[in-house]
Amino acid sequence: MLLVLSEEQKEHLGFLSDVDPAVVGEFGRIAVEFLKKGSNPKIYEGAARKLSVPAETVQHGVEGLMFILTESSKLMISEVDFQDSVLVLGFSEELNKLLLQLYLENRKEIRQILSELAPSLSRYQNLEWRLDVQLASRALRQQVKPTVTLKLHLESGDTQSARVLQTDPATLLHLIQELERALAEVKSNHCRRILRNIK
Amino acid sequence: MELSDSVVKGLQTLADPAYLDLKSFTIFTEAAFSSLLSFPTGSVFDYPELKNMDQSLLKHCHIAATTFILEGVKQNADRSTICSSLEDLKFDSERVDAFYMLYQKNKTNLEKLLSSIDGCPPHITDVSWRLDYCIKNSHVHKVNQPSYLISFNTESGDNNGASSKLNFSCTLEQLQDLVGKMKDAAKSLERAAQL
Repeated sequence: MLLVLSEEQKEHLGFLSDVDPAVVGEFGRIAVEFLKKGSNPKIYEGAARKLSVPAETVQHGVEGLMFILTESSKLMISEVDFQDSVLVLGFSEELNKLLLQLYLENRKEIRQILSELAPSLSRYQNLEWRLDVQLASRALRQQVKPTVTLKLHLESGDTQSARVLQTDPATLLHLIQELERALAEVKSNHCRRILRNIK
Repeated sequence: MELSDSVVKGLQTLADPAYLDLKSFTIFTEAAFSSLLSFPTGSVFDYPELKNMDQSLLKHCHIAATTFILEGVKQNADRSTICSSLEDLKFDSERVDAFYMLYQKNKTNLEKLLSSIDGCPPHITDVSWRLDYCIKNSHVHKVNQPSYLISFNTESGDNNGASSKLNFSCTLEQLQDLVGKMKDAAKSLERAAQL
């Protein structure tokens, strides 16, 4: 599978063949940094002054690299396909190698970042628990009621939340039993067959 | 047991044979207990024996009797406390015995009911799960990871026992982590139970 680059993107990236490979390396580092932490336009201006080109040119170059990195990580394209895809840009061999290196080194992390964008429910993060014996309440004195308090930490996008829940010992054992069935299911013949065949 | 004047007056009426004979008293007391344990749909006193009574007085007696019952259960009152309180209110021994028999019969259920009244966090009652295999999404292709959807059924005491669901997703490793932590809690419970 090859990457498809628009004429505009090719034009933007063309700027990279005019500068020193070390500069492209730096742009690559910036592109990865922006993907991880969000973009920062001030950096474009600084780099543009040093290279004495318009800030826009630098921005287009870095954004072009970001596109190449995200798109190839998303599609999980192979080394060979990556090299063939950037061939159309007419870069030097040294530059192509540098881009390939950048892709391979950061692919895993970029896929991790992209996977967080997928629509999903709140995700499990952590569970804390506490055991109590309830002794009395306003409505009833002289109780001996064991309770398990659970604090479930969830995250959804950037927001983290925690829910406090309670249960009794019998239900706790039931929950464990049921969730162990869920874990066992992934090892069943049916699941293993599907997992093997969808690659 | 400390009782308000209104409750004392209501109970004294119940003790009066001129107002209720023993049979009607037993029927009335049974109705009072069952009105606490179930949500009555119609009138609490829909019995032929109670039809001819002054209904407003009957209501007063009902409030007095249920208050006395709840107070007794709340304080885990034993036989001597219940019986001596009723005797002080001029209940004859037959009425005391009839009342105590019903008190003993319903006490466990009433305790359960009262222990469920508190502002505690939602109570997990059950869990359901679903196993998916994520193939790709609009942002990442070739994901190929199993993923679980977990749904805890919860009941909240604040909301008249209204049930709701708490849904979340987790990976295989995260579910193993969750179950591992729940097992730790269960093990500690087991150890605590042996003390």
